[in-house]
Amino acid sequence: MGPLSFYEIISENTNFLMAFIIGIGFGFVLENSGFSSSRKLAGMFYGYDTTVLKVFFTAAITAMLGMILFGLFGWLDLSVVFVNPTYLWSAIAGGIVMGAGFIMGGFCPGTSFCGAAIGKIDAMVFVGGLFIGVLIFMEGYPLFEKLYNAADLGAPFVYDSLGMSRGLFAFLLVVVALAAFVGAEWAEKKFPRDEY
Amino acid sequence: MKPLYKLAAVLLPLGILVAAIPDNKVGVEKSDPQTILAEVKDGSHLLTTDVVADMLVKKDPTLQLIDVRSKAEYDQYHLQGAVSVPLDNLLSEEFVSYFDQDMKMNVLYANGTTAASEAWMLLRQQGYKSLYIMQGGMNYWAETIMNPSRPAATASDDELARYDFRKAAGGVLGGGAPVSATAVSAPAPAAPKAGAAPKKKRAAGGC
Repeated sequence: MGPLSFYEIISENTNFLMAFIIGIGFGFVLENSGFSSSRKLAGMFYGYDTTVLKVFFTAAITAMLGMILFGLFGWLDLSVVFVNPTYLWSAIAGGIVMGAGFIMGGFCPGTSFCGAAIGKIDAMVFVGGLFIGVLIFMEGYPLFEKLYNAADLGAPFVYDSLGMSRGLFAFLLVVVALAAFVGAEWAEKKFPRDEY
Repeated sequence: MKPLYKLAAVLLPLGILVAAIPDNKVGVEKSDPQTILAEVKDGSHLLTTDVVADMLVKKDPTLQLIDVRSKAEYDQYHLQGAVSVPLDNLLSEEFVSYFDQDMKMNVLYANGTTAASEAWMLLRQQGYKSLYIMQGGMNYWAETIMNPSRPAATASDDELARYDFRKAAGGVLGGGAPVSATAVSAPAPAAPKAGAAPKKKRAAGGC
């Protein structure tokens, strides 16, 4: 039955409309969780505030369980759901660049727009930096092209690589997430900060 | 109760649930009868011998002929580039790689149309796509391509053109004489590697 747009149950335009509504919901939840504050996001790296980990990891495992269960019920055809292909080296390089930018700027791309939308100046500067980065990548593409396309692994799944079933891997990931939340709460007690 | 415990109380049982259920086959896409019926009515899966001959002459790389007659009949004579998948063993594992792909046009043929139609129906019900039938099968092939009958001199231009094409195609494809065992028998190409096929268009997404 799903994905709705793939099986043309809804039109491409309705699909965009739904994406728009979901995007507003996403922005609302980001703002509501306090993600428009760069100090809160930076807290993840210092241990005094681990909301980022909790919100995103909860979102990830909730979506994972939802999709697997929907797949089991036959509501969602997981075989046609888009899986971002893995280009090993560009993923590593991109991860480093993104991580460094995250620590320095205190935002990830999504939250910077959230912050800019409510008038945070540091977020606006971050968005400006984002566009500069995009420009450098675009203009310097011939330089990066080789790295960008290197080691195309297709769309591998961790559970296939580990040789376990999807369900078992999902369960283990839930356990890892809960363990991480316990660790996060410990860190918040260990490195408290009254005001940030 | 701490929020963490609430979260764990919901997620852990669900996690155990998905871990306990074996990988399902429910979600696997099988073609529903309505779709197949529509295709049957539509008739777009039927190819004429002329279309097949044209593709063969042009060496269309997307054409994959599949001979569903018995192995003995296949060995005696088969169309250029055809692979042998006897109807008796249609669902055998060894042939899955021919059908589980979407790069090529799988054109089924037998002596007549019946066996190919049966194979087509079975394979469609398995959910395989890109399947076609060569209408009339080998008998009609021999009649139209190998030994086309000359139309009357008063026939329309179209008919004469078709005759010319058939005559030419028949010549290229080893016809012109009654079909014999010594006619074309090109080596069958290797089966396309399963999984090597590019993934079909996916619903786009990402963050």
